[in-house]
Amino acid sequence: MDIAGSFALLLALIVAAYAFCAGIAGIITRRTLLTKSALNAGMAVFFLVTFAVGALEYFFFTDDFSLAYVAEHSNRALPLFYKFAALWAGQEGSLLWWSWLLSTFAFLVLFINRKKHPELMPYVGVVVAGVQIFFLTLNNFVSNAFNVLGAPDANGVLRVASLSDGRGLTPLLQYPEMVIHPPMLYLGYTGFTIPFAFALAALLGRYPGEKWIHITRRWTMIAWCFQTVGILLGMHWAYAMLGWGGYWEWDPVENASLLPWITGTAFLHSVMMQEKRGMMKVWNVWLVFTTFMLCILGTLLTRSGMVNSVHAFAQSSIGGWFVSFLAIVLMICFLAYWKNRDYLRSDNQLDSLVSRESSFLFNNLVLLAGCFAVLWGTLFPILSEWVVGSKVSVGAPFFNKVNVPIAMFLLFLTGVGPLLAWRKTSLDALKRNFAWPLAGGLLSGVVAFIFGFHEFYALVCLILSVFVVLTIFAEFFRGARVLAARENTNLLTAVGSLTMRNTRRYGGYVVHFGIVLIFIGIAGSAFNKDTQAELNVGQSLRIGPYTILCQNFDSTANDNYQSARATLEVFSNGKSEMMLYPERRFFPASGETETIVATRSSALRDLYVVYAGRSPEDGNPVIHAYLNPLVKCIWFGGLVVVLGTGLALVPNRRPAIVLSPVTDRVWGETVPRSAAAPAVGAIQRGADAHD
Amino acid sequence: MIRLSPKGKLYAARAYRSIFGRGCLIFFALVIVLAMFAVSPAFAQQTERAKALGMRVKCMCGGCNDPAGACFHSGGEFSGPCATAKVMLKKIDDRIAHGKSDDRILKEFVQEYGPTVLVDPPAAGFDWTAWIVPIVVPIIAIFGGWMIVRRWRQEAPDLSAQTDASVTRDLLARVQHDVEKSEL
Repeated sequence: MDIAGSFALLLALIVAAYAFCAGIAGIITRRTLLTKSALNAGMAVFFLVTFAVGALEYFFFTDDFSLAYVAEHSNRALPLFYKFAALWAGQEGSLLWWSWLLSTFAFLVLFINRKKHPELMPYVGVVVAGVQIFFLTLNNFVSNAFNVLGAPDANGVLRVASLSDGRGLTPLLQYPEMVIHPPMLYLGYTGFTIPFAFALAALLGRYPGEKWIHITRRWTMIAWCFQTVGILLGMHWAYAMLGWGGYWEWDPVENASLLPWITGTAFLHSVMMQEKRGMMKVWNVWLVFTTFMLCILGTLLTRSGMVNSVHAFAQSSIGGWFVSFLAIVLMICFLAYWKNRDYLRSDNQLDSLVSRESSFLFNNLVLLAGCFAVLWGTLFPILSEWVVGSKVSVGAPFFNKVNVPIAMFLLFLTGVGPLLAWRKTSLDALKRNFAWPLAGGLLSGVVAFIFGFHEFYALVCLILSVFVVLTIFAEFFRGARVLAARENTNLLTAVGSLTMRNTRRYGGYVVHFGIVLIFIGIAGSAFNKDTQAELNVGQSLRIGPYTILCQNFDSTANDNYQSARATLEVFSNGKSEMMLYPERRFFPASGETETIVATRSSALRDLYVVYAGRSPEDGNPVIHAYLNPLVKCIWFGGLVVVLGTGLALVPNRRPAIVLSPVTDRVWGETVPRSAAAPAVGAIQRGADAHD
Repeated sequence: MIRLSPKGKLYAARAYRSIFGRGCLIFFALVIVLAMFAVSPAFAQQTERAKALGMRVKCMCGGCNDPAGACFHSGGEFSGPCATAKVMLKKIDDRIAHGKSDDRILKEFVQEYGPTVLVDPPAAGFDWTAWIVPIVVPIIAIFGGWMIVRRWRQEAPDLSAQTDASVTRDLLARVQHDVEKSEL
């Protein structure tokens, strides 16, 4: 089976190389048959990589420890659930997982569009195949998951050997979310390859108009949504597993996942400028390029060991390959841009500084400034070592100081942007749209200040959050009121109807609402409290409104781990509220210990309790308790973001009436609006309608 | 001497009883006894200044990446400050007791463990750029954005008559056909 898996991977590389070469030949010679064959080869890669992944999983499920990778990341006692997830526990498997997800995306894109866009798809196929070649080369020659263990026999001849049991999965990964978090993040990383392929293809093929943007919009949103879910699950895992009371430590690998998410967010906003007004074409193309390159950089940082990280279990020395690939991608992108830069000429100019266009521009600038600040802080230790010869640390306080003001400005723009009209916003409209939300935000700030809410950034965050939420509700209310009057329905029905008429716009508002909730949750961390105490049976500790009474300590064991557990009773205002069971698990296979946090979670606050183990000094059990306000807002906000994205992906129920833009593109030529359509309004096709 | 009116005397007596009355005395005694028995801190409580300094230096055990003041040492036998972090926190306490300034204490840590001991890069020498660049870049970006907007507004050429010379009629016809097919 190991030979079959290896062979499938090698064949996948050869087929991807064929798809690449035949695709280029087809484009040059304009031979349709050759192009079709290349695209079919691109789809065939999926089946070959799927076979290889299936073969590796077979080794995990059958406890065949003759494969070095399986012996390193699994053991007999490991539950089936985690045997499946062990696939991406180490470098070889996670690179194979990358290749499989990429081939899945490639298959879907090539299959769905097999009879569409004949001018564009050959280029897309070539770009995707190029990326696949890189990862399959790594899978085959640099980091092969099918390497077998060898041992010399009595005659000194090296033969395949099998261990009786493996070293087991690192305890940090033995948590249900770790079965979902890495695939989600990787779906985000690989998913951004599709918009990248379309952008580069459109540029290389000088594909006219904004068609590539329309095609990739859904792919970009799906990749972005996966990335969002991946990041949030990672935060939740860190919160529930690491036992330090927080969810984001500005670890380099965490930062690496945030970077493409930020540029992807910027792209999802600026793309509307191109669709609506034919502006920011260069910007959009480079945003897609940057997002893809940051995905590769993220994988490089996770895998290379360039920076110190809690994800050290995934590190190795393949950095050089990624750096070379990044350099090649950058060079190709730059050459493609330089050669075809005239194709990216803007159709329109900005009419006013107070307009939706300028708000998108500044939103993009602020997002990129934030992205740069994170990247700068992440890579600064390497830069410092390179320049002055000594490495420095860049920790959470640095990132908080630098990024919190940027985030606040971004939150402000989240509220302002949707209230501005395209082209120009009059002073009257500004007053009308801003007065109530602004007053509401300021009032909430005053009330919060009176009630002792004195943390500066938390207060600013609250004011801006209320402002943004009010603008969102005002947008729904205004539209629904008009619709309710026109269709003679109640307001709630009108809200539903309005949303389904322009899912992209209102789905976007729901996403904004989710982001506000996440901001509120993060602002709550300014009021975190914690206490640590030695707690024997019958003793108690107090934190906030809670008293934690120690009832018992016990221990259990199974094949996989030994557990030491504390039984704690939580009292609030003298009343028993619930029992908590924080645990420590020792995994004999790896010799590591892990904490399992116990949480009493409510909408307002989390009581987060860690059994820290026995004090090294006197052997007494130590309990560490945290009181973290508003953490639930983060997870709930994440759910709202996913719902909003899902809503934005649903096609409009009816064609939306969109006010006429200045000009319309008619097959590449820019013609005055009056020549393109006789009426003042134009009915846009449902799926593309937006605002 | 303070002279109290009869009403004042009444209030004072009530206040005395409420503070030092038998019930309250028992309550306070219980609180003190419970406080003595209930919990003992896991490690010596530090002053606010020592805690703040503990958050500015990294635990140098090599097994975690936490500040010494918040070392939870994930994966270790004990999820609290590890032995290295405790030594570092003790050093902070001792140096504060010797009347050393924060800067002096941090400098001594850098001499002892190297510059990576500091959680954040120092605002001096080349490391100063770590702080300056993320402030300067957004300012330049926003200024650049403003300049772009200004230029766009000043130039605003009539693009309605412009066409892309490289986009041939033949290609446009093919794209039109392509789009029509995709929209079916």
